[in-house]
Amino acid sequence: MDGYPLGSLDHNVPLIVVSGLNSDPPEQPPKANGRGLLLRSDLPPLESREASFLQSYFEEVAERGTSWTAVTRDEPFRVRIKTVGRSYVLPSRRAPLPETIEPLTTAPILHSPFSPLSPSSTLYPDGLINAEWIKKHQEAIPSIFVCFHTLTSDPKTATLQDNKLKADLNGIRAILVESGYKTRLVVIILGDKDARTLTADIIQDRLENIRRGTGLDPKSIFYVTPQESPSDLKRVMDSVLSLLYTTAIEYYRDLGRHARKKRSRGIVPQPTVPPTSGTSQTLSLSDWNFRYDFKSAIFAEFRQEIDAAIRSFEQAYEILLGQDVLDIIPSWSPRWNEARLLADIISIRCLRMHLWMGQTSMAVRRWQAHRDRISDFVEARGRGTNNYGWQAWEARWAMMMATLIEKTEVPGLGPSTMTIFLQPEKNLFGERLHPWELLHHTGYWYRIAARHLGARKALARRIPEDDRGAPDASPASRVASKAYRYDTYMCPPPHEEYPLNGKGVNHAQLIIDCLLMARGQFQARKQHRIAAEISLECAREMVTIGSWNEVLGMLRPLWEDKSFRSEWWLDISEEILWLVRRAAAETGRADIVVAIDWELMDKRFRRRENWHYDLSKSLDGVTLDSKPSISISDDLASSFLSASFVFRTKEGRAGETCLAQLSLKSEALGVAAPVTLSSIRVEFEGHLKPITLVHDAALPMNSAEGPISVAVVPLTEQLGGDEKKTKDECENEAEEGTQDEDEDKKDDADKDKTDEKEDQLTGKCDLTLRPGHRQVFEMNIPLREPGEASASTLILSYKADTFEMDYKLSLSELGNVTGWFVQGSVKPRLSRPNGHILHIQPRPPKMKLRLIEPLEQYYANEPIALRVGLYNEEDDSANVKLDIRIIGKGIPRFQVQAGEHKREVDAAEEESQVTDLTLGHIASSSSLEASIHLDPALAPTVYELQIRADYHLESDAATPIVQVLPIHLNIVNAFEANYDLMPRLHLDPWPSLFDYEDLQDVSEGDVVPAKGLTQQWCLVCHYASFATENLDVIGLDMQVTSVTPGGRCRVVNKPEFSADGMIVAPKTMYEARFDLVADKITLDDRHPVAIDLAFVVRWRRRRSIDGETSPVNVTTMIVGQYMVLGTEPRVLASVLHSSQEKAGLVRLDITIENPSNHFLTFGLAMEPSDAFAFSGSKQTTMHLLPMSRRTQTYRLMPLVRGVYVRPGLVVRDKYFQKVLRVIPTEGMKIDKDGLLVWIPPVQEADEKSN
Amino acid sequence: MSAAIPSVACLGVIGRNNNPLHISIFPSYDPTANAFTPVRNPLQFSLLLSSTIDVFDLRSKNSTASGDFGLLHAIDDRLAAYGFETNTGVRMVCIVDMRGRRVEAGGSAGAGGPSQSSTSTSSSSSAAAAAAARASMSSVGAGLRDAELRPVFRAMQSAYVRLLQNPFYDPDEHAPLGGKGGRRITSKKFGDDMKRIGEGWTPGVTAL
Repeated sequence: MDGYPLGSLDHNVPLIVVSGLNSDPPEQPPKANGRGLLLRSDLPPLESREASFLQSYFEEVAERGTSWTAVTRDEPFRVRIKTVGRSYVLPSRRAPLPETIEPLTTAPILHSPFSPLSPSSTLYPDGLINAEWIKKHQEAIPSIFVCFHTLTSDPKTATLQDNKLKADLNGIRAILVESGYKTRLVVIILGDKDARTLTADIIQDRLENIRRGTGLDPKSIFYVTPQESPSDLKRVMDSVLSLLYTTAIEYYRDLGRHARKKRSRGIVPQPTVPPTSGTSQTLSLSDWNFRYDFKSAIFAEFRQEIDAAIRSFEQAYEILLGQDVLDIIPSWSPRWNEARLLADIISIRCLRMHLWMGQTSMAVRRWQAHRDRISDFVEARGRGTNNYGWQAWEARWAMMMATLIEKTEVPGLGPSTMTIFLQPEKNLFGERLHPWELLHHTGYWYRIAARHLGARKALARRIPEDDRGAPDASPASRVASKAYRYDTYMCPPPHEEYPLNGKGVNHAQLIIDCLLMARGQFQARKQHRIAAEISLECAREMVTIGSWNEVLGMLRPLWEDKSFRSEWWLDISEEILWLVRRAAAETGRADIVVAIDWELMDKRFRRRENWHYDLSKSLDGVTLDSKPSISISDDLASSFLSASFVFRTKEGRAGETCLAQLSLKSEALGVAAPVTLSSIRVEFEGHLKPITLVHDAALPMNSAEGPISVAVVPLTEQLGGDEKKTKDECENEAEEGTQDEDEDKKDDADKDKTDEKEDQLTGKCDLTLRPGHRQVFEMNIPLREPGEASASTLILSYKADTFEMDYKLSLSELGNVTGWFVQGSVKPRLSRPNGHILHIQPRPPKMKLRLIEPLEQYYANEPIALRVGLYNEEDDSANVKLDIRIIGKGIPRFQVQAGEHKREVDAAEEESQVTDLTLGHIASSSSLEASIHLDPALAPTVYELQIRADYHLESDAATPIVQVLPIHLNIVNAFEANYDLMPRLHLDPWPSLFDYEDLQDVSEGDVVPAKGLTQQWCLVCHYASFATENLDVIGLDMQVTSVTPGGRCRVVNKPEFSADGMIVAPKTMYEARFDLVADKITLDDRHPVAIDLAFVVRWRRRRSIDGETSPVNVTTMIVGQYMVLGTEPRVLASVLHSSQEKAGLVRLDITIENPSNHFLTFGLAMEPSDAFAFSGSKQTTMHLLPMSRRTQTYRLMPLVRGVYVRPGLVVRDKYFQKVLRVIPTEGMKIDKDGLLVWIPPVQEADEKSN
Repeated sequence: MSAAIPSVACLGVIGRNNNPLHISIFPSYDPTANAFTPVRNPLQFSLLLSSTIDVFDLRSKNSTASGDFGLLHAIDDRLAAYGFETNTGVRMVCIVDMRGRRVEAGGSAGAGGPSQSSTSTSSSSSAAAAAAARASMSSVGAGLRDAELRPVFRAMQSAYVRLLQNPFYDPDEHAPLGGKGGRRITSKKFGDDMKRIGEGWTPGVTAL
């Protein structure tokens, strides 16, 4: 905006002059012509608090009046207010006659001092119009002259004061009328506090009096009653101003009307004095029409009638650029530039109004149209567009638009809205629009301006030297040609634009300012990439003026946040990098220079011609105070060295070693010098010590030719200064031999240095990296502690003569898939993800624990012996302690024995253990045996044994190692059995009730002979071995564990075995019969007797191979309880087979026992059968006395052989009519139909007899 | 009497990681020299393309489902950037030079295309383009609708799809997942396609 005459672009709003609020000294009449009119009043100015408040309030309103924002309908008023004292000078309406001219014959017609008709005007005689005229209306001639007065409350002087006031106002009115201006006079009377005493009627009367006395119309006099608070006063004053505003609008409407009237008259007014100098040309009719249109437009703007204003402006614009005005002004004339200026002013005002109306696209279109039109004009009539002047104007024009957008505060385009451009207004919506016609935010406009400024600079640089000299130093002809060649519209002439000597226009600074404004806008809308681009442009400008620090300040953030680089915009990055490097080199920032050199080595970037690409020369030409040591990390500068670290295996074990490869690939440009690193350090996360590889030029490179070389690097372990060579190292030494001595010496030297350092692994190799070459270092890393280890960072150190550098590279973030390199192959093998992570497992115990000669199965009731062997497979002798722990139910007593050490533990319920049984040293590769003896378990059960050997090696006492042997002992019963108790006939006669002697109590010795009844039984045991192998049964026994008192029981017969016993095969049933005899002590005892029996098997394992006899184990099985000697009668059948001679005659005895106290009668009936013939009573009755038994005998002659015959014998209790069951004894059986008797086959007998 | 009509100044493909995949630059008609020269240098075009990422990011918050972003922004009164985003996040940018070509309003095509003297196919396509341009000039005035760029993006997208169909083209290499950067497209066929699209387009062309 600057550059346009003051006031030419102001937003025109009504001007109101307020007098009487302060005591400014009366203005002096303008000195220029001394013809100003003084409006003054003699009354003292107001000095109340209200007055000063109002003054500041009016200043506020006036301030708002200068705003360029659109006046909306809601806004009650937009005015500019001038507060003055009691006097004000109005400019003269008529210009004076110049004193120099000769007196005229006729009375001169005088014109306004701003008119081209007046000789005193700068426009005289052929100027169009200038900003002075606008300024006159905006700043000098008010639409309303407001006088503030008070109403005195003193009744004595009231009339006098009122009359004074009247006179005063009349005076002012008179002057106004005399001036010829149509300025309205308004009186505002403030009631002071004392005025409260006056009644409304009195005030009304007095006001009416004043009004009438001064001839004011009722709308021009206001009375403001005293207000409570400033805000009330403000509100009242706002309403007064709103009323005045309409009056003011009316005033400007009159002026506008006047201008239109003059235009419609269609005559060319004559100047006061005809021009005599210059071209003596005067304005033509179209010039005058332009003037009138321009004026009406300005007045319309005063009234805020935007449509009317645009119409008039456009009309004026068309006339101005039409063929009658600008076209005929010669381009060398100053009027040409004035006309251009007017065209600009009109366009700017039009643009502003378009923006006010929200016609944003229209505004852009208007902006472009004006530029194109002027450009055509300049091309056709002026000095062309290929000069700095035109570019300066273009820049100005773009800048103007940006300022306009900002000052009018176009809605929806502020930074907070984040909009980049506005959609077109409604009436242009369907049209084909240029993209640029959508109004973009000011950043874009500033940027265009900067672009044009750049072009201006370039064109200015091309001004030939001849034209750059001061005009007074060059011949007149040259000055003339210069004037023709250079467009100096609103810009300095060539000798000031780019002078030969001294400073001219600071183009760079102009551009930078413009760019910074643009950048601010872009940054506010988060368009960071454009902002970065602008920063880059800015920096380039700064380079031209050599302000390197600023360049660095501008670009360093871009460099640091890796804009463009992280997204691989290589050409852009490259540009930035080279610029930053240059700036850093100029300002001596060694770290940045080296970092960028490091980065630029990458072959991703284009090769710069004649650049050394040698890191050691990096700081050549950079002034430095001291030798810098620089550290860079990969998040600041990317590296031309790509690195990967991979372990050979995913898992390793502590105490072992793991192969690992560090691969470094140089992606440097082919022309770059090889880089020799001084050292490489690999750091790990987890339990691995850092590895340092040091450059040693003495070592030969593996293969200098191929694209890849794999070097095996022996590592030396340093334990806080204590140096110990790994196995691997030793091997290598053996191979290398001669180099050893040198190395040792160096090692000693190193030792002192590294004394303080933490543990680390070091190696030596050649660290020279040629471009495009991949160097792989293969290392054997000793693993010490378990856990997870991953290679985290790599620090590459580089030492040059001028600096030292560390480059830190993160390994974990690199490409996840890494592989294993082998010599000669460019591609890695066995690629796998996360190759840089190694899982180290704990050191494995090598002590072997095992059971010696374990048995297949352990049984209850046998003592169990377990032999545990400990075999030391470690490389060193071990110090061992043994823990034994048994878990189960009913753990028996056990003892542990190992050599001379012995421990015994008592039986326990659930858990039992022996701890810390010291076994002492076991030498490497030797073994030790410990034995555990468990007492027999009473029942089948399960024991869990845990045998744990805690040991440590002699060589490494600190590392505890544990080996565990779990044993699952399942103890089962060796035998199972079922039982059957069968009655037998006791052959002894029953005692008789009548035998007195036998009933006598005889005590002979210990044995008390039984006097009661006696029964014989047979217990049949069916037993089977549940063992998994054959066992020897040594003996079987029946134990009577308990008998009811009064009864007795004894085993009379049991199976016999030989001394070696009987082999019992597994899963086979065996039978054993035991005969029992039960009797009672007395005959009187009538209760049945309960007997409890137990079956005892004495057995042992089969003889072991060495011939030792196993101990005999006893397994006792409870048989159960049986009831004997009841009181119910029994029928027992027994058979007796006759000898062969008697043709197999069978005697069947039926014995009926009556142990009761009753006399019983039984009927016996024997059915005849086809199977046998019999003798004996077929039907008989037997009487049994109490406590007696009788036998009935049948002789059977079987007709069949080898089968059971069924004697149809029925025994019936006669009294109860109940059939008694006949109980079989030996050689018989019974089923549900009755008794069965076995008849042995005859053939056998025949054969035997034969 | 000749008039300037829009032409493609640059076609760019930007990968998912905001990395440049492809940049084709087309010369514009320069009336002062009466020759075809690019309006900006390659570096400036790179910067222009990268600056569109900001606009893409800004607009994607207000999600346009179709992927067609239309006008991204006008760089100045001459150059304007239009954009399209595929659903895999690949962005295609077309920078239009609003005064890139000249047509004789009278009838015969003036400077139809920059590569008139090259192969027969391209000259025929540029002749067709010039004819279409004449038609467009006669029917409508200057300016450009967003829809007129759609054939460009359609053609670019199908060229990109053809590229993806090539089994030797690994998209992950060009925009590593979650990573940064990526390589540029080196396919000659794709480059040729871009060249054809850029040279063939004028306002009013419906298929490329």
